[in-house]
Amino acid sequence: MIQKKICLLGAFAVGKTSLIKRYVSSLYSDKYHTTVGVKIDKKLVSVGDKALTLMIWDVAGEDDYTTLKPTYIRGAGGCIIVVDTTRPNTFEVALMLHGRVKEHAGDIPVLFALNKCDLKEKWLLEDKHLNQLAAFQLPIIKTSAKDGLGVDAMFQALAERMIEV
Amino acid sequence: MTTVVSKVLPALYSALDMVIFVRQPCGLFQAVSDLPAWSQFWLKLAQPSQSQEQNYALTEAFSYLSYFMPDAEEHWKQSALAPLRSGPWIEIDELHQELVLEAGAVWVEDKPVLFIQRMGSEYYQEVERLQLMRNGLLVREELELEVQRRTLKIKQREEEIAIKLVSLTSFRDEETGAHVRRIGLYAAAMAKALNWSQERIDDIRVAAPMHDIGKIGVPDRILLKAGKLTEAEFSIMKRHTEIGAKMLEHSHIPTLDMAADIALCHHERWDGSGYPMGLAGEDIPITARITTIVDVYDALVHERVYKLALSEEETIALMLEQRGKHFDPYLLDIFLGLLPVMRRIRYQVQEIDDLIVRAD
Repeated sequence: MIQKKICLLGAFAVGKTSLIKRYVSSLYSDKYHTTVGVKIDKKLVSVGDKALTLMIWDVAGEDDYTTLKPTYIRGAGGCIIVVDTTRPNTFEVALMLHGRVKEHAGDIPVLFALNKCDLKEKWLLEDKHLNQLAAFQLPIIKTSAKDGLGVDAMFQALAERMIEV
Repeated sequence: MTTVVSKVLPALYSALDMVIFVRQPCGLFQAVSDLPAWSQFWLKLAQPSQSQEQNYALTEAFSYLSYFMPDAEEHWKQSALAPLRSGPWIEIDELHQELVLEAGAVWVEDKPVLFIQRMGSEYYQEVERLQLMRNGLLVREELELEVQRRTLKIKQREEEIAIKLVSLTSFRDEETGAHVRRIGLYAAAMAKALNWSQERIDDIRVAAPMHDIGKIGVPDRILLKAGKLTEAEFSIMKRHTEIGAKMLEHSHIPTLDMAADIALCHHERWDGSGYPMGLAGEDIPITARITTIVDVYDALVHERVYKLALSEEETIALMLEQRGKHFDPYLLDIFLGLLPVMRRIRYQVQEIDDLIVRAD
């Protein structure tokens, strides 16, 4: 059985834990519970005729009080960098984290999740943000942990990219 | 003494809720302390075979540790006495209970020692502390966004009022509301290309349209004269720069301060041949140098009572002749690089007929 470590990274409260919970357990709660440390979940996926175990690392959000430890990214086969579409500040953190991933894990498959897409009336990302992300030529997937939009597709896309590598 | 230590240490490990291992040369970990109840489920997963009882493949049970081990090995190589901590991680046990653990690597008595500790109330206090702080940060972010939203609304109102005021003064000559609005947009596009802050970009968008506001103080017989102005009349006409500056200065409002600079200096020329002060080069405020370029461009490509519109090619050719004379050469190059943007503004902001009042 192939086993791959993937990390969910992003500013605090962007919905990393909620995305994982939606994907692994099909559950959602809109109450914000901060993550301290790392929680690892497992999920079995199929890519073509291959079975793959995803070790999904839910890594504490980056903010003034916590910085990302290189250990957390080490050995990752792929990363999902989460942006909260209602908080432009989280876009800047995502860019910084993308740099950290490149620095510590090299050219592994990465994709950006634009989360909380269900909150359309609160969307604050501008074209300039999207253009900046597009310039990385990495997949950008709109997600909502609340209604499940794009969640399975996002993990599946990353799994497929990791198998290709 | 030995008896006392042998009694104290197990009690201490138990109180700290930790299990201690020594890393064996084979890479397995030998438990050297009692095994707390919480650890037994996990250590069963880490037991390679019956023959190696008390030796565990810890990374089999705790995948998190496999990523900590390279750091731990490095730490042991240095025989470091101070423990290197892994940071906390969360496991879910067979009863679906959350178990928060933290590992540490330390060199003791020439042995590589690894301890795994179950995190207690300290961890949950830390979670509570961070939860409070992050909730606070979220509220602060939300308030900042609300302030930004409201500031933008105020800015839009300010801009609307400025355009209305400038349009009123334009009732007396051939300029139009659309012209003054375009001047603001062209200037803002230049400011953006120069990487100004959003605040300054917003300021120049509102301030540049006021460049000719001083014309309100110029008599009709001069302002509306169809023929060429006499020298005396031109001297009076030139005073619109100072009149505009006087109207706008000393407000302590950054946008109006900027507008005052622009009103005073938008007829200054890069080579020093302009008015009212004959300033040259960078002595002319950059806001005025930008406005000069966009004002001339818009005036040339549009029709006026006294002239036909020039084509864009003719306009650019004329402006290039004035590079380093009338215009700041660097800013003119920036402007020319933005021509597609300027063209879009020109086509999108068309004349508003009801604001055009000509003296018949």
